[in-house]
Amino acid sequence: MNITRLQNRQHSDDAQIRRHRPDYWLVVIAVFLVAIGLTVVYAISPALSAISGGSGVNYVSRQLIAIGLSVAAFLVTARVPLNTWRQWQKPLLVIAAFGTLIALITPVVSQYPHHRWIRLGGFSLQSVEILKFALIIFLAGFLSRQAAAGKLGDAQATFRPLGILLLVMTVVVAGPDALRGQSDLGSFGVILAMAGAMAVMIGMPMRRIMLAAAVLGLLLVFVVTISPYRRERLTTFMHPETDCLNAGYQACQALIAVGSGGISGLGLGSSVQAYGYLPEAQNDSIFAIYAEKFGFIGVMVLLALFVALFARLRLIIERTSDVFSRLVVVGVLAWLSTQMIINVGAMVGLLPLKGITLPLVSYGGTSVLFVGAALGLVFQISHYTSFSSRNVQKSSGQRIYDEDSDDRRRIRRAYHPDSSGRT
Amino acid sequence: MNQQPDVPAVNPVQRVRIWYALLLLVFGTFAVRVFYLQVIRYDYYKHAALNDQLKQYTVPAERGVITAHLGEGTVPIVLNQKLYTLYADPTIVKHADMDAAKLQPIIGGNVDDITQALQTKQTRYVVLKKRLTPAQSSKVLALQMPGVGTLEQDYRSYPQGSMAAQLLGFVNNDGSGEYGIEQALNGELAGKAGQLKAVTDINGVPLAASSGNLSVAPVAGDNLGLTIDVGMQSALEKIVQSAYNDNKSKDVSAIIMDVHTGAVKAMANYPTFDPANYQDVNDSSVFQNQSVTTPIEPGSITKVFTTATSLQKGVITPQTTFYDPGTWQIDGAKVSDVEEDHSTGQQSILSTLDKSLNTGATWMLMQLGGGQVNTQGRNILYDYFSNHFRLGKATGIEQGYEPDGYVPKPADNGAGINLTYANMSFGQAYTATALQMVSGFSSILNGGTYYQPRLVDTMTHANGVAETVRPKVLETNVISKQVSDNVISLLEQNNTNHIHEGFGYLNFGPNYNVGGKTGTAEIADPNGGYDAHKVNGTYMGFVGGDTPQYAIVVYNLEPSKYAGFAGAGTSQPVFGNIAHMLINDFGVTPKRQ
Repeated sequence: MNITRLQNRQHSDDAQIRRHRPDYWLVVIAVFLVAIGLTVVYAISPALSAISGGSGVNYVSRQLIAIGLSVAAFLVTARVPLNTWRQWQKPLLVIAAFGTLIALITPVVSQYPHHRWIRLGGFSLQSVEILKFALIIFLAGFLSRQAAAGKLGDAQATFRPLGILLLVMTVVVAGPDALRGQSDLGSFGVILAMAGAMAVMIGMPMRRIMLAAAVLGLLLVFVVTISPYRRERLTTFMHPETDCLNAGYQACQALIAVGSGGISGLGLGSSVQAYGYLPEAQNDSIFAIYAEKFGFIGVMVLLALFVALFARLRLIIERTSDVFSRLVVVGVLAWLSTQMIINVGAMVGLLPLKGITLPLVSYGGTSVLFVGAALGLVFQISHYTSFSSRNVQKSSGQRIYDEDSDDRRRIRRAYHPDSSGRT
Repeated sequence: MNQQPDVPAVNPVQRVRIWYALLLLVFGTFAVRVFYLQVIRYDYYKHAALNDQLKQYTVPAERGVITAHLGEGTVPIVLNQKLYTLYADPTIVKHADMDAAKLQPIIGGNVDDITQALQTKQTRYVVLKKRLTPAQSSKVLALQMPGVGTLEQDYRSYPQGSMAAQLLGFVNNDGSGEYGIEQALNGELAGKAGQLKAVTDINGVPLAASSGNLSVAPVAGDNLGLTIDVGMQSALEKIVQSAYNDNKSKDVSAIIMDVHTGAVKAMANYPTFDPANYQDVNDSSVFQNQSVTTPIEPGSITKVFTTATSLQKGVITPQTTFYDPGTWQIDGAKVSDVEEDHSTGQQSILSTLDKSLNTGATWMLMQLGGGQVNTQGRNILYDYFSNHFRLGKATGIEQGYEPDGYVPKPADNGAGINLTYANMSFGQAYTATALQMVSGFSSILNGGTYYQPRLVDTMTHANGVAETVRPKVLETNVISKQVSDNVISLLEQNNTNHIHEGFGYLNFGPNYNVGGKTGTAEIADPNGGYDAHKVNGTYMGFVGGDTPQYAIVVYNLEPSKYAGFAGAGTSQPVFGNIAHMLINDFGVTPKRQ
């Protein structure tokens, strides 16, 4: 792979970063999470069918198709060179904008009450997922370029375009239905977290970030105030017990699902809340159903898997010297962690309810597809991590190669398993 | 703008570690929160979950069936059957006219009416036809019409048609018994509904895999075997119906009771109804088992009780004679004979019964008081009527809506209580049902034991144990055996006299012992006094051999014919028919030669 394309290396002494064994743990953890999600969807599909009168879609096969597409997307993003993605940052953003536009003009129906979906035949795409993916590459490209040009603190060159972009996002993603917005505060929160995390990590002046945060905070208050159902959700979040039958129904049922799981859960086949009590059991509420099935022990396992996933991402961020690459991983970490926190926080009653999936676990093709794509990028980047800081600390004058490190072949010539011993 | 090079003065490793630490903090919070929800608050949420998920259903118990005697055996008279209600959801029905044309051959009726029903607006449930047979239901379902379906429902079926309808009562749409035995023994017949507690989905469909399911099996209701004899009941109903038709009465009732056990062998009223189609009845008064539910002033048949009381108190003997002045002045009013022979002169106890002398009955009441109508006489008459013969007291028979009737208290009320009691002695001024009369009469006939009248012989519980209902004695020593014999003899002589007076149909030959007393009761006018044009004809008699076997009471309410002599004219022939029927068809034990 073309190492020379990697720019802005921090450790100039480590110029010889070669492609090495990638972070397979990343894949292993992701596979576990996807498998958990699929298992839960499989286990509750009879319930979902029973509730929809037996005419329900085949959730398992649809999810399998989504996973297949996700694997394909992963392979593509893992193999198409990062630089290519970087060059495609603007076309990608245009595609995302176009997708958002289609979603905007797609008429809403009772099953899809907001302008969030692009519907093609029996399939539907959540446009914001494309947007998140495109934004990561775009923001990473933009910020790394501005940083390289030393313009990170420049209001004109950096702050303004970024501000305009976020304002557009605010209107489109967080905007209410009346303005044909997607009314998707959860996804908007994810986008903000992505942008914020990348800005902080690149070293944008905190003053600017705080200012942006203040402006967005005011906007948020405004959006919540003008949207009656948000006000309602906020009120029910503050006092969930007052309105278990109407506005607070889903929140209450989620708490019941989690709480009734107990220490060891009801068992894989024994969820009751999935039988119509808890809306979106396979999707936004899958965490609660999982908690009902597998109890406190199961939840700890799931949280541990997410912690492990985020730990891998953190490690890759720490070990990636290329600024663009690092920002991409930062964006992915911000995406997955924020979305996970918003989802789980709502299910355990710590945050107001948002219509947002639990990454990798929830049923829902678009989310699985683009999270797979994002992880593909990270996987590619994990080929090029550097361990110099660790090695430097370890050695005293004499350079020792960490036996456990993933990249201990990096000074040697490229390792070609196919050809070695044959020539 | 300040263009100083923006070399990141930040340490990304440090920042990402701070970020990661914050993430861990959030995760820690989640872990604590989930621990709180799943471990500490588990009971609360488990309870809340079951509150929503656990639903309780009642599983109806099979209602007990009812059988009755038929000679030596028993036959069912009330059974259960599953029928189907045909309904449609007009919002789903596509081709109302075509569907109606296909339904009509199966369910009958008119195609246009069915079409119209299928097109009913603004409803999702139209009943097209009730009580479809299982065969009809499956034929309809085989058509697979969208929006047309059938619902199973339990119904009572009546193999004997409308026989004994009023004493049986019916079961309403809610599954509760109404009127008659269905109401009185509703608890026993209904059994105990089972309970199914099940974790269900949101639509209430129990989840098969749920471990929390709990069910209590229903306990079927008791099967009842009645004291009624189906043959006797049918014959009695025919007699009662023809009396109704002949006399153009308001209602005719008759009861046949086994004098030795209090068991009602037959009990009929006309008009009656068809219990299988009770919902088609417009006048709900036909649901009443009038023999049990309608107390009237019984009239002169009461003289039997007055005579028995006087004999028991020793103030008269069967041979006693007395001077009848034709009228008695009591409380400023004249008591005289309104019916039959009205004359002065020597009279006997027998002639008092035969001619039905009100003055004679009043004279007996005067003897109870030592020569005049007074407190002592009133107290004695009240005690015997109310406590010995239990007139005006609900008997406790297994029937719905049984009232008490009314016997005025003997204490001086300052409103002519002596006159009231004089009237009572010959059957006015108090009320009793036909059942009360026949039960009290039976206690006289059997030598002084008052059995609670009853309709149930056996109760077979769900576990198969059959419980035989024993006759229940409510009063002993109602009168002495001696008085019993005397009254029987007087009534038998009375019957013989009536034969000689021209009522040849009362001749049952030498092998049978038959006796009785007529009554023509004036009907109290709601505005005071008595209505001169309306009377009730009554009769109280017995049939037997050496001893009376069956006691019979006939109430003929407001017959249009024979108003003046309603007892002799309308109820005595009914009694005659009943007695012949019993002797001819139901093996009344003849006298030993």
